[in-house]
Amino acid sequence: MDTRIWAVGGGKGGTGKSFVSSSLGLHLASLERDVLLIDADLGGPNLHTLLGMRNGHPDLGDFLTSKISMLEEAAVETPFPGLRIIRGTENILFVANLNHYRKLRLLRQIRQINAQDIILDLGTGSSFNTLDFFLSANPGIIVATPEPTAIENSYLFLKSCIMRVLKLYMDHYKIPDLHQKMLEQIEKNSQSLYGFFKSLVDADRSYGTILYRALRNFRPCLVVNKARDEKDLLLGRSMSDVARKYLLIDLHYLGAIPYDERVHESLKSMRPFFASHGDSATAKSVREAAEELAYSVEFSHRTPPEIRFPNGR
Amino acid sequence: MIKKIEDWNYYELLNVERTASRQEIWEGYQAALATYDPGSLAAYSLVTEDERRLITERIQEAYQTLRDPEKKKAYDLALLKRSFYYAPKAPFRKSVGKVEIEEVGHKRGFREKVRLLFSRRKPDAGEP
Repeated sequence: MDTRIWAVGGGKGGTGKSFVSSSLGLHLASLERDVLLIDADLGGPNLHTLLGMRNGHPDLGDFLTSKISMLEEAAVETPFPGLRIIRGTENILFVANLNHYRKLRLLRQIRQINAQDIILDLGTGSSFNTLDFFLSANPGIIVATPEPTAIENSYLFLKSCIMRVLKLYMDHYKIPDLHQKMLEQIEKNSQSLYGFFKSLVDADRSYGTILYRALRNFRPCLVVNKARDEKDLLLGRSMSDVARKYLLIDLHYLGAIPYDERVHESLKSMRPFFASHGDSATAKSVREAAEELAYSVEFSHRTPPEIRFPNGR
Repeated sequence: MIKKIEDWNYYELLNVERTASRQEIWEGYQAALATYDPGSLAAYSLVTEDERRLITERIQEAYQTLRDPEKKKAYDLALLKRSFYYAPKAPFRKSVGKVEIEEVGHKRGFREKVRLLFSRRKPDAGEP
């Protein structure tokens, strides 16, 4: 079966990652798809609360501590047909610092799960674990809100992803001594990413091509949540323009989700907003974003266009 | 293609197609100005003050050129001349008045080569 893995992440807390994942899950389930939500927020899980469920076992922690052998056994039914969830664990603090071996095991098992859509709800911050989950998914969605703090963290998250991608490729192709150089150069400012690639291509064209190709293959998506006015609707477009020019990546803008006071009320009454206010503008924009994404995923699978550098044909 | 801000052409700066109408160019210009406005959220923390000033200048320049039909025409021509020659991917061969794709010979694998070398029958001799 063709499984699609979605990841919802991006920097700051409180931007609505869990809201977007749960709404996306409910939307896909309403299209009669077999959906599995995974609360991969290892530090502070609360996806189950958004769906009106209590915490309990089995959860992701049981798998990570090898109480159960298969990840799929940890999936429990939600009150909504077609939607299953693997709850995050609250009991074990050390799970937040997942080690490399366990992470690989988790990623491998996620790919083997029998479901049409798997949605990973990621945690805040730009730790390696979060980045690796984000990069392992095909549509990786960044949720930002129209606030300087959220924007700043989104860009930081993108930069961290870029560095992680390049690092993985450098390790794989055994490209020597570049990592330190990259860290020094990219840390300084945004335009230095261009400078880094320029010097890389001048030094060794083949390595430069490999890494640039890797960079262009990283195609995250962007959703602007809690949009309150016209200006916020344009923000996503602007951000994707900035990312294209200064981070050299295609940031696919999916749309804005309008701010809705009732989200807060639904949260308090522990009923998912998407299920109780399915006809609101907010729910509608989630559906539109999902459709836009589903449509474009086909294209993001394609290999990037051939790379040509300005100097030398 | 890796580009510095100075290397982006006017259409890329305004995020419009080369066939864009005057209205679309105006809209692209407004959007680009808003993106790199001093108080812009989208450029926050990623674009430094100097970079922001540079790109705003370039955007102004772009709009001043593209709004004027005469200048736009001259610029489009210059762009065409500046663009690189892309070699065609498949080898082409010109034959009587039409272009056709040359047959690329079957690529022989290592195993096949070895078999040919050691088999008694000549490779070109047809089946009896």
